[in-house]
Amino acid sequence: MDNDNKVTTQVIETEVPMGTIHSAALEPYRLRLFVEDEIVRDAELTVGVNHRGIERIMEGLPVEKANSLTEKICGICSNSHIWNSCLVAEKGLEIDVPPRAEYIRIIMEELERLHSHLLYLAHGSEVLGHETFAMRLFYIRETVMELLRMIGGNRVQYGASIIGGVRPRCDLDEMRIQKIIEGMDYVEEKVLDFADRFIRDPMVMSRISGIAAITKEDARRLATTGPSLRATGIGEDLRLDMKQYEPFEFDVITQDTGDVKANLLMRVLEIPESIKIIRQAIKDLPDGKITNRSWEMQDTDIIRSYIEVPRGKLYHSYKIEDGRVRNSIVRTPSITNINTMEFACIGTHITDAQLAIVQCDPCFTCTDRAVQIVDQPFRKNRII
Amino acid sequence: MDTSMIIISIIAVIGTLIVAFAVSVWLPGIERKFVQARIQQRVGPPISSPGFMAPIKFFFKEAMTPNSPMPRLYNALPLISLIIVVFILLFIMPQMYFLGALASIIAIVGLLKVEEIMYMFMGSLSKSVLSVNMPFPDLVKGAKHVDATRSFIEELSTLRAFRLIAFGSFPLYIALFVPVVMAKSIYIGDIVAFQQLNGPVLFTVAGVIGAIVYFIGFMILLNEYPFAIMKTKADVIEGPLLEYMSKYRAYTYITRGFLIFVLASLFATMFLGTPPNIFSPGILITIAVAIIFPILMAVMSAFSPIFTFRQFYPVVAATSILGVLALVAAFITL
Repeated sequence: MDNDNKVTTQVIETEVPMGTIHSAALEPYRLRLFVEDEIVRDAELTVGVNHRGIERIMEGLPVEKANSLTEKICGICSNSHIWNSCLVAEKGLEIDVPPRAEYIRIIMEELERLHSHLLYLAHGSEVLGHETFAMRLFYIRETVMELLRMIGGNRVQYGASIIGGVRPRCDLDEMRIQKIIEGMDYVEEKVLDFADRFIRDPMVMSRISGIAAITKEDARRLATTGPSLRATGIGEDLRLDMKQYEPFEFDVITQDTGDVKANLLMRVLEIPESIKIIRQAIKDLPDGKITNRSWEMQDTDIIRSYIEVPRGKLYHSYKIEDGRVRNSIVRTPSITNINTMEFACIGTHITDAQLAIVQCDPCFTCTDRAVQIVDQPFRKNRII
Repeated sequence: MDTSMIIISIIAVIGTLIVAFAVSVWLPGIERKFVQARIQQRVGPPISSPGFMAPIKFFFKEAMTPNSPMPRLYNALPLISLIIVVFILLFIMPQMYFLGALASIIAIVGLLKVEEIMYMFMGSLSKSVLSVNMPFPDLVKGAKHVDATRSFIEELSTLRAFRLIAFGSFPLYIALFVPVVMAKSIYIGDIVAFQQLNGPVLFTVAGVIGAIVYFIGFMILLNEYPFAIMKTKADVIEGPLLEYMSKYRAYTYITRGFLIFVLASLFATMFLGTPPNIFSPGILITIAVAIIFPILMAVMSAFSPIFTFRQFYPVVAATSILGVLALVAAFITL
């Protein structure tokens, strides 16, 4: 976390601490806002109260079990975690994933992106104080949640990916394909309607235009990732480099201003792109098996895998010893975006500060990955 | 005045208060169930819940000591607010016009100001666990700005309440002076009599503009979305009301419902010439206004985000200018 004091020459008069329990926050975090007449001059955001030690629990578990556990890191992007964790093993063990399974994984991932973006928009609307928009977005999201339930069996934590492919229950038959097609038509129509209504609302535009703007240079300096980076005009999307996405055509959406409006519109405009990918995957869904079982466990060095998830770049790494996971590390996008959140708060009104944080789509529970305990008398570090 | 008249007047006052209370407990439910919930396509709470059942529930909750330097005073404030609102209703009843200056627009404006000031006291006396009191190691090595004065989020509400007192309630008070100008009197009795002779103020150009301005002021005074910056969920959560629990929270609910009714009654009195009186058919107009106002307010609230001061100042300035235009129009029609 950035502990550099940006305003060292400035005398901060008042601190307004908020949290870790707060109505605007979906998750626990501590926010210290340093204000002058309700204008934020500096901010400090601290996470760490929801640490579950998942990497520590993964240590020594069989790879399959450890992969399942990664899904518990996040309720919103659970598929991203288990997919990336499986990719680590598949990369290390050199397992070929059947094309049909790759397509189903892409469909799951893009459905997850849809529900994550819709949740983001709904939460953003709530923080704006526009409950009606939030409710309507939650209704649209419900279609996506039901599709995920249909494929995976659960509305969250679908457990689709396994090493070598996807679970048999996640295979797509004709009925499921038809429901996905209908669902995508519905979501696209409703989201475009919402976007039209949203950008025509002068009161909403007044609240979000020019608020918490981040420039390209700032985004680079702060290591911003995901849609928040693309909202500043930098068209960086890891999906362009992922071989799994090679068969699909889609546009990388960017905005110019980097403010709350740009961030919200980023997600709105990424939704049709995800729908485009899902439609291509459905149309070209290969026949064949969905799991490759012919692989053998072996020891590996540390294997690293990055994928583009709804919030940005997700990193998983571990090595395999005797079929068990060692040295697991997970880095979620939000941990790199915390600096951006703090920076975005500066110069905003206090009420907009929460909006500045929400615009980076935080997921702090996923971000609470490791705790460093410093044993002061002996200066020994322990990471758990 | 003979004894029977005094008894009838007392019955009228008590009866009107009972009717006001009986109607006011349903208004938050109408606002949230029939309008907001339907606009948002959700089921919403039972109509009796927000204004009637919730206070009853809270009356039977355990009363814990709030986090406040003066918990007794803090707990007394909602009751004082309720009493002030009841007094406003009393002073606009026809049976009270003999009180002279107390039944005048000056007294009403003064009491409304006191009601607003209560939020400042509440905000400065509330010290919830949700900010400074949270047991979180903020001031540790490496923390930013460890010397800054630490402020509770409710203190932000106090500052905002002060700003609302200073400029937020302008529209309502300007609108109230439109009938005063037309009737050439500050006394409620004279304003009602003027309208009974010349027709309601609402049916004039100045009255229509004044009514629009009054409605905006009504929403600001009730701290309703989009003018709820004093208790916005994004930062100050419930603001001054954060630490209220049990019967004291019930008083805040009752006061809000009652204030909706009283402000609607004030509108009916000042713009339609029908003061609240149980023995007059005009009470139906008062009740109708008391139902229509929350419905309109709920529609506006459902379709707008919360305003920060960046939006608040221009809206209040524009509405106040409109109010001044209404006053000018009232002068011209004299």
